Amino acid sequence: MKIGSMFKDLVVSFFSPPVTEKYPFEKIDTAERFRAKLCFDPAKCTGCNLCSLDCPADALQIVIIDRAAKRFVAHYDMDKCVYCSQCVQSCKFKCITLSNSEWELASLDKDSFAVNFGKDADIATFLERANAPAPEPPQQG
Amino acid sequence: MTTLIALLSIMFFPAGIALILSGMLYEWADRKLVARFQNRIGPRWFQPLADTIKLLSKEEIKPSGLNGILFYGLPIVALTGALTAALYAPVLGFAPIHSFPGDLIVTLYMLSLLTICMGLAGWNTSSRFSTIGATRSLTQLFAYEAPFLLALLGPAMVANSWMIKDISAYADAHWWIILTQPVGFVVALIGLMGKLELPPFDAPEAETEIVAGALTEYSGRGLALFHIGKSIELVVAVSLVAAFYLGGIGNPVVFLIKTLGIVLLMALLQAMLTRLRIDQTVGMWWRFGALLALLQVLVLVLLKGWLV
Amino acid sequence: MTTETLLQHASELLAPFAKASNNPESNRLDVQITPGDLPAAAAALSNASWGYLAAITGMDLAPEINELEALYHFCDKAAITTLRVHLPREDQPEIPSISDKIPAASFFERELSEMLGVTVVGTPDPSRLFLPDDWPTGVYPARRDFKIEDAAPVPVVRKTPEPGRVGNRFVVPIGPQHPALKEPGHFEFSVDGEVITGARMRLGYVHRGIEKATEGRNWIQNLYLLERVCGICSHTHASAYAQGVEKLAGVEVPPRALAIREFVAGLERIHSHLLWLGVSAHEAGFDSLFMYSWRDRETVMNLLEELTGNRVNYSICILGGVKQDIVAEHTETIHKSLDYLEERIRYYLDVVTTDVTFLQRTRNIGTMSLEEATLYGTLGPTARASGLERDVRVDAPYGAYSQFPVTMVTAERGDLEARFVVRMNELLVTCATLRAIADNLPAGDIATRFPRKVPAGETVSRVEAPRGEAFYYIKSGGGDSPVRLKIRTPSLCNWTSVLNKVVGHQLADVPMLIAGMDPCFSCNDRMVTVHRKDDSSTITWAELRKYGIEKYKRG
Repeated sequence: MKIGSMFKDLVVSFFSPPVTEKYPFEKIDTAERFRAKLCFDPAKCTGCNLCSLDCPADALQIVIIDRAAKRFVAHYDMDKCVYCSQCVQSCKFKCITLSNSEWELASLDKDSFAVNFGKDADIATFLERANAPAPEPPQQG
Repeated sequence: MTTLIALLSIMFFPAGIALILSGMLYEWADRKLVARFQNRIGPRWFQPLADTIKLLSKEEIKPSGLNGILFYGLPIVALTGALTAALYAPVLGFAPIHSFPGDLIVTLYMLSLLTICMGLAGWNTSSRFSTIGATRSLTQLFAYEAPFLLALLGPAMVANSWMIKDISAYADAHWWIILTQPVGFVVALIGLMGKLELPPFDAPEAETEIVAGALTEYSGRGLALFHIGKSIELVVAVSLVAAFYLGGIGNPVVFLIKTLGIVLLMALLQAMLTRLRIDQTVGMWWRFGALLALLQVLVLVLLKGWLV
Repeated sequence: MTTETLLQHASELLAPFAKASNNPESNRLDVQITPGDLPAAAAALSNASWGYLAAITGMDLAPEINELEALYHFCDKAAITTLRVHLPREDQPEIPSISDKIPAASFFERELSEMLGVTVVGTPDPSRLFLPDDWPTGVYPARRDFKIEDAAPVPVVRKTPEPGRVGNRFVVPIGPQHPALKEPGHFEFSVDGEVITGARMRLGYVHRGIEKATEGRNWIQNLYLLERVCGICSHTHASAYAQGVEKLAGVEVPPRALAIREFVAGLERIHSHLLWLGVSAHEAGFDSLFMYSWRDRETVMNLLEELTGNRVNYSICILGGVKQDIVAEHTETIHKSLDYLEERIRYYLDVVTTDVTFLQRTRNIGTMSLEEATLYGTLGPTARASGLERDVRVDAPYGAYSQFPVTMVTAERGDLEARFVVRMNELLVTCATLRAIADNLPAGDIATRFPRKVPAGETVSRVEAPRGEAFYYIKSGGGDSPVRLKIRTPSLCNWTSVLNKVVGHQLADVPMLIAGMDPCFSCNDRMVTVHRKDDSSTITWAELRKYGIEKYKRG
C-alpha cells in the first residue's frame, strides 16, 4: 500500500520536456499509409463506376463526358468523404489513391470542398453542363 | 498623509489591485506546476487574467425564482472578505498594512467568510448540484477549520502573540518553526489544501459528480468575483503558512521563494492523490487532523509550562 | 461439452414447446414456438442454466409474409438457440414478457416494443428506451412500411419541474449534459443526503437508426457505416459484420487476413482499455493517472496509424479479408511499442492495486457477486471481474483465435478494483498474443474475391468487443443489401447491473460505478423542447440555431 504511487513518474516528468506536440508550430509527419485527400488519375479510368457505387458517403461520382473516347471527370466532395479508402480497393485499374500528407483540409469556403479531377478540357465541359440552365419543360398542347 | 498612504496601500499596492494580480499569478503557478508534473505544457502566464476578463465581460444569467439580493451580493461579500483578510497578512513581502492583537483569528475568519458565502450562494440558487455542493462545502469547512486553526496556533503560542506581524517577526528571528513543529506544518499544509478546496479535497466542486458544486448556476460577473476571491485566498493563506512555518517573510524576494515553495509542494500533492469522498475527507480530518494538531498544541503547552 | 451436445440438450429442453425446429448452421438451433409458450420455453432454458439471453431481434417479414417475427437468441458457449415467435402484422400485437425469469430481458423488450410496435405483456418497464418523448405513437421504425416523414415530432406538454424535491425524494439528474458523461445519457438518482435510494435511466440520445440505415446500403457500404457505430470498438463491429456476411456467402477468408484482423482487434483492445483507465481515473479525481495513461495510449494510436492508415476507424476489414498487410518493416516498431506498452501496463496495474487514495475509491465499492452478474446478464470484463466466465474469444473462438488463443482473465471480488485488475491483466494477455501473431503471421494472401450479391440466408456473428460480446444477426434476401441487421452492443446488457448496484452507494461513487462498466452509449438526432415561462413549445434545431445567431446579432 503506497501513498502516491505515481510519485516517481511525476518527479521525472517535472524535469523533462512536456510530451505535447506544439501543433501548428511543430508538425510531425503522418504515417505512410495515412488516408487523406483523394487523388484521381483519369488516364486509366474505364467508367465502371464501382468506386462511386461502393462509396459509403456518396462522395465520389464519375461523370462521363465521352465513354468511347474514355473521357471521364471525377467529382469529389471532400466534406462528405470519410477517408475509408474503399474506392481505392474497388477500382481495379488503380486510378485512385489517397494522399498521406494533404490532410489539413479545413476551409472557410464551402465551395472549395467540391473538387473535380480530369483533363482541363473535360472539367470545363462538365462545369458547363452542370451550370447550364435547366431545359424548358415541353409545352402542353 | 498616513490615511492617504493606507488608502493607496489598500487599493493598489500591496493589497487591492496588486493582490488581485498576484492572486492570478499564483493560480497560474499552481496550474502550471500541476501540468508539468503531468507531463503537459500547462497554461500560459496570462491565462487566469484572460479567464477573469472573459468572465467579467459575459452575460450573467440569474436563475428565476431566487433571492436577487443574495445572488448578486454574495460574490461581492466573498471578495470583500478575501481582500480584508489580506490587510493583516504579510502579502507580497511587505509588512501587514494594519495590525492589532488577535488579527490572526480575524484573518482566518475572513477567509472562511469566502467559503461560507459560497455555501450560501449554492444553497440560494437551489439547483440540485449547487445544493449538494453547498452542503459539501460547508461540511468540509467544519472539518478542516479546527485543525487548521490549531496548526496555526502552534507558532502563535511560541511567539506569545495573536498578532500576525509579531508571529512573523518571531519566526524570522528564530529557527524555522517547521523544524521544531513538523507535525504542525503537515497539518497546516493539508489544512491549507482543504481550505482552498484543492484536490484531493475538492469534493465540494467535484466536476465529474456535481458539475461545479455550489457555483454551478453562477456565470459572468458573479463567477468572476468568486474566482478572484479564491485566488486571493490562495495568496493570503499560503503567505500565512509560509510566514509562520518557514521563518518569516521579510522582503518580496523571500516571499516569492517561500510561497512558491509551498505551492510546489501543494501541486505535487494535487497530482499524486485521488479525490477523497466527502465522508472520507471529514473522517480523515476529525480522526487524524484534529488529533495530530491537538497533540502538537499539547506538546507546546507542556513545553512552555515546563520551560517557563 | 461440445456444441452439438449443447444444441442437443437445448433441443430436448424445448421439445414440449417446439412447433418446428431445424439447424440452419452447425452451431445454431432455430425453434418455432407460439407466443403463449414463450415464457415457459425461456424458463426451461433458464432453469437448466442453458446459456444466457443474448439479444431479442424484431423483424417485419412483409412483403413476402404478412407477419412480424420476434427472435429470442440464447447463447451457451458456441451454441446459439433462437426461439422464433410469429405475430400477426397489426398495430401492437401482444407477446408475453420473459423478464420475471430473466431480468436482463427488460431492456431488450423495451426496444422490441418501441421499434416493432408490439405490446410486451407484463414487462416491468414499458416506457421508451431509445425513441425520444416526442416521437409520434403508432410509428414503428423497424417495420418495412416506415417512412421518416411520418415521424414528425409531437409536442410534449410537461409540467414545470420542481426544483429538487419530488415528494420525499431529492432527485439528482446526471445527463444528458454532465461532465461525468463522455456521451449523453440520462440518469435520475434519488438521494437521501449523499446516499442513493433509487435510479432510473433513459438512453437514445445518440441513437442514429443505423440498423434501419443498413437496409438501404449495399454490403460494402455497410462495412463503413457499421464501423462508425462506435469509435472505440469500431473494428469489432466491422469484423463482426464482415465475418457474418462472409459466412453467408460461403467465402473462406485467408488465414493471414484473419490473423491481421485479430492483431488489429488486440491493438484496439489496448487502446480502449487505456482510454477507459484514464476516464475512470478522471471520474475518481485522479487526473495524473488520466494524463499518463492517455499519453501512453498515443503509442498504440501511432502504431495503428502506421499499420492501418488511421488512428480511429481503421477501415482495415473488407469483405473477404483485409486491406493492408503487416510487413517486415513494421515488426520492429511493433515490438518496441509492445514492450513499452507492457511495461507501462504493469505499472498501472501496480498503481491501481496499491495506491491508498485510489483504493479508497475502488475497493469494495460496487461489489457484484457471481449470482448477481449472471442474473443481470452482464458481459465482458464487468462480468469477468465477478468471476463469471464469459468471453466469446474463448467460448466460441472465431477468426484466428483458434490459432492464436487468449486466456480468459477473471477476478473473484467483483468490486471496482477487480474490474481494473481484470482489464489490465487482459491487456497483458493481449500484448503476449500480439507478439505471437507478429512473429508467426501465416503466409498467404490478405484477401479473396467476394461476390457482389450475397446468397439468401440468416446468420449470427458474435465477436468479443473490449466491453463484452457484440452480437450480430444478419439476414440476406439474396440481393445487394441486407434485409435485416440486428446489432446488440455489450453495453446494453451491462446497464441493468449498474442500476441495481448503485442503490445504497454514495453519490460520489456514481460516476465511478457508471464508468466501471465502460459504457458506450448510442445516439439520436433530437428535437429541442423549450420551456418558456408561460407556454411550452417545440422548436427545431434549425430554429434554435437561428434564434441563437439573431440574439447575438442584436447586441
